[in-house]
Amino acid sequence: MLQHILSVALVAAPLVASASPISSVAAPDTLGVTTTASIPRATSGNSRPWYRPNHVVLQTGGGLGMVAGGAGFTLKDRLELDILVGYVPEKYAGSALSLASAKLLYSPWTLPIKDKWSVKPLTVGGYFSYTHGTINDEEPNQYTKGYYWFSTDTRIGALLGSRLSYALPPTASGYARNLSAFYELGTNDLYILSYAQNRKSLSPADILVLSLGLKLDI
Amino acid sequence: MQLRGLGVIVLLWLAGCQLVEFSPNQAYVPARERSLTAQNLRRLEVQPADDTLRFVFVGDTQRFYDETEAFVASVNQQRAVDFVLVGGDISDFGLTREFRWVNQRLNALRVPFLTVIGNHDLVGNGRAVYQHIYGPLNYSFQYQQTRFICLDTNGREYGFGRQVPDMAWLRQQLADTAGSRRTIVVGHMPPTDEDFDPELVSAYTAALRSCPQLVFHLAAHVHRFTAGQPFHDGVTYLTTYSLQKKRYHILTVWGQREFRLETVAYGAGS
Repeated sequence: MLQHILSVALVAAPLVASASPISSVAAPDTLGVTTTASIPRATSGNSRPWYRPNHVVLQTGGGLGMVAGGAGFTLKDRLELDILVGYVPEKYAGSALSLASAKLLYSPWTLPIKDKWSVKPLTVGGYFSYTHGTINDEEPNQYTKGYYWFSTDTRIGALLGSRLSYALPPTASGYARNLSAFYELGTNDLYILSYAQNRKSLSPADILVLSLGLKLDI
Repeated sequence: MQLRGLGVIVLLWLAGCQLVEFSPNQAYVPARERSLTAQNLRRLEVQPADDTLRFVFVGDTQRFYDETEAFVASVNQQRAVDFVLVGGDISDFGLTREFRWVNQRLNALRVPFLTVIGNHDLVGNGRAVYQHIYGPLNYSFQYQQTRFICLDTNGREYGFGRQVPDMAWLRQQLADTAGSRRTIVVGHMPPTDEDFDPELVSAYTAALRSCPQLVFHLAAHVHRFTAGQPFHDGVTYLTTYSLQKKRYHILTVWGQREFRLETVAYGAGS
């Protein structure tokens, strides 16, 4: 029950919060652009090469590892592509799992709160993950073609979340730098299918997965 | 400081209720949801015995959660049922959450339930998940003078190679007839199926044939009822419905090898 309430609250939070920026933009008196938080990022990168990541990520959960870390690219402070490598120890999975995943995230709004704090109230996204090291890893010729219609190691999923950021001193080369804490509620293809076919007895909360993480601009 | 303590508690709680999931393939559940086979056998042990063995047999609960609820409601209306036997393919994708969803529903049964592992339960890390949640893949128990031998018969999931079913273990169990007057063997995969290790079919059927107190062999997988003696050796092989078919069997066993099979249909159509 508690889990259901929390899930609903977490799903609702970014949606409720994201309703507010529109009204605050409409009300000129309360516009907060004069704060010291460095948003938007004035210096986001003409001088750095394209392949240099904009941030690093460390997270837990979300079906992407007990710990997952990686780096990502940002486009116009809104669109991000994060590449993560995750790990689940044998104790929690029966075999040690290594996961490679890619998350594509879109966060349309950044709202200053006060001083160096800001929030991205809504992040929507999708992910792809590949799991290596499962016990029964579909050996060649083990099954006839199409025996199992689904992949046991490749998952795709959707997620929704929020992010709280703190502006750190800029880098030596003048890049704005935020340290952010985020959460994401997501689910995967197989869970969605299970829910879709059992709408009476499963609830959306049953198929939700939470991830918690930190993101640091570099 | 207090805040940090609260944070740790919240994190542990989130992991405990599985909202923070490390992988859908993880094999980790809270302690009370582990070793369900042992838990159910303990319940069975203290259940007052009568002189007739009567149990429900159904297969393949995989991804049929709505139907599982209706199944439980129907079984709970039956009288004098000793336990429920689920013939494998509890899950569809071998994922922990699926097993939990099924168990949450089967927990509403008034009688204990026992399982054998199905081929779908062995997908991904399902073997570890099953061991963590239920217990050993091969186990036996005695109830009402009947020895139940429950084993993994899903040869294809191991790439065949004469590993599964574990013939040495099965022969040992079949030979151990002390204190019982009947034997029943249960596996998900019937030996007539192409997913049963073809190199073990003759050894398997021969072992069953050599057990004079064997009542029958139970399997699921084919999602329908079949009954017969496909190896023409006097050994009866039965298969049961998948849960989706909204039908299950009640098997009543008495005497040396007497049994009656009833089919129960429930819910609206199938």
